[in-house]
Amino acid sequence: MPDFSPTQYAVPLFVVAVLAEMIWAKFRAPEAYEPKDTLVSLAFGLGSTVAGALLGGFALTLFIKTYDYRLFDFGAEWWAVWWAWPLCFVLDDLKYYWVHRAGHRIRWMWASHVNHHSSQHYNLSTALRQTWTGMLTFGFLFAVPLVLLGLHPAMIAICGGFNLTYQFWIHTEAIKRMPRWFEAVMNTPSHHRVHHATNPRYLDTNYAGVFIVWDRMFGTFTPEVDDETIRYGIVKQLGSFNLLWAVFHEWIGMLTDIWRAPWRHKLSYLLREPGWSHDGSRETSDMIREKWQARVGAQVAPLATSVADRNPIAGSAEAA
Amino acid sequence: MALLTQTIGSLIAIFALAGLAWWMKLGGAPLLNSEDAVRRAAGEVEDGFTLIAASCDAEGKGALARDSAGRIMVIKRHGNRFAGRVLGPAGKAQLLGERLVVDPGEARFGKVALTLPDAPAWANAINRVSGRQDA
Repeated sequence: MPDFSPTQYAVPLFVVAVLAEMIWAKFRAPEAYEPKDTLVSLAFGLGSTVAGALLGGFALTLFIKTYDYRLFDFGAEWWAVWWAWPLCFVLDDLKYYWVHRAGHRIRWMWASHVNHHSSQHYNLSTALRQTWTGMLTFGFLFAVPLVLLGLHPAMIAICGGFNLTYQFWIHTEAIKRMPRWFEAVMNTPSHHRVHHATNPRYLDTNYAGVFIVWDRMFGTFTPEVDDETIRYGIVKQLGSFNLLWAVFHEWIGMLTDIWRAPWRHKLSYLLREPGWSHDGSRETSDMIREKWQARVGAQVAPLATSVADRNPIAGSAEAA
Repeated sequence: MALLTQTIGSLIAIFALAGLAWWMKLGGAPLLNSEDAVRRAAGEVEDGFTLIAASCDAEGKGALARDSAGRIMVIKRHGNRFAGRVLGPAGKAQLLGERLVVDPGEARFGKVALTLPDAPAWANAINRVSGRQDA
């Protein structure tokens, strides 16, 4: 069985790329980095690696047990079945889309995933701002169907590693647009800037990992518009560089809400979307967007304007 | 052992990169020194916040803003960005010499100390909100 972790091998590349982006920022956009923010983001990355090593064993055990009940068998040398690798990569990316979407729409999942969004900056160090508490959610269960299909847990882990490694480079403002065909199929810096934005028009869109086609298929795609400055972070910015607060703040908030809520509403604070409240005192992303739409009305640029249409090096035809 | 080695190596890289960002003077310190700057920052804190009055800290590190509904927002510089809170019942303000210390009631957000030309009036307005809510 291959023992290989793409992300581990990519760490030196991450360091060099962050360094290169800092040099770019020095000359082109010094505000793109903030030393304390960078320190917190990188500490998140380290902590998530440690947390994964300590807590990941549970999911691995579950997957190995589940693998015994697989529907299809790729044989003892499953790693030699070449076509299983691209199949696994695509299915794992589809799985990622749904885990990620759940991560934004279910507060229990958001309590963990919010870590990745808690920076008000968007640079390569933000990519490393990974959660420490993923194993406290049920996100790992989304991989069970893949295991039941007969894809070995190690194969899924390796594909997942490549998926995460791919996502590193899209966390940048240094790249405006990729060629039209690439923007149409792949997740790009432009698409992912939208995902990290708190501008109402962008909230809870572009969940893709590698292939943006999932968002186009499932109706969650929003293109980046050029005439609006993107604000990054979360709707209620932390206003603190305290690492532990950044890691656990939403868990504390959620558990406090569950504790204080009337019995019939407790489960909703766990399973409904972030911002939901039983007395309507808070706002969900949908409510924020509706208010914004009501306020700006006809002034809003049509979302149908595709990224490719605005790409100066793209052709004139509509994007796929 | 491998995890420990990797952790130590990563820690060194983390401090080196953060130190480099500091050494390269990345970041900057934007100022909240005009009504336009406060309006922009308030709109970032809460989309659609309709500013009708603002008061900026003498050093531009923070501001208070009031909207058409009478709500008051405190804004502070956080790194080289801004963060803020609309003050609710837990919000308090205290005059300490020339400084107005605004406590939005969130320990982790922290208190915001501002030097304002019209500090007593803002203090009264903030404390009226919490007083009214408590009544």
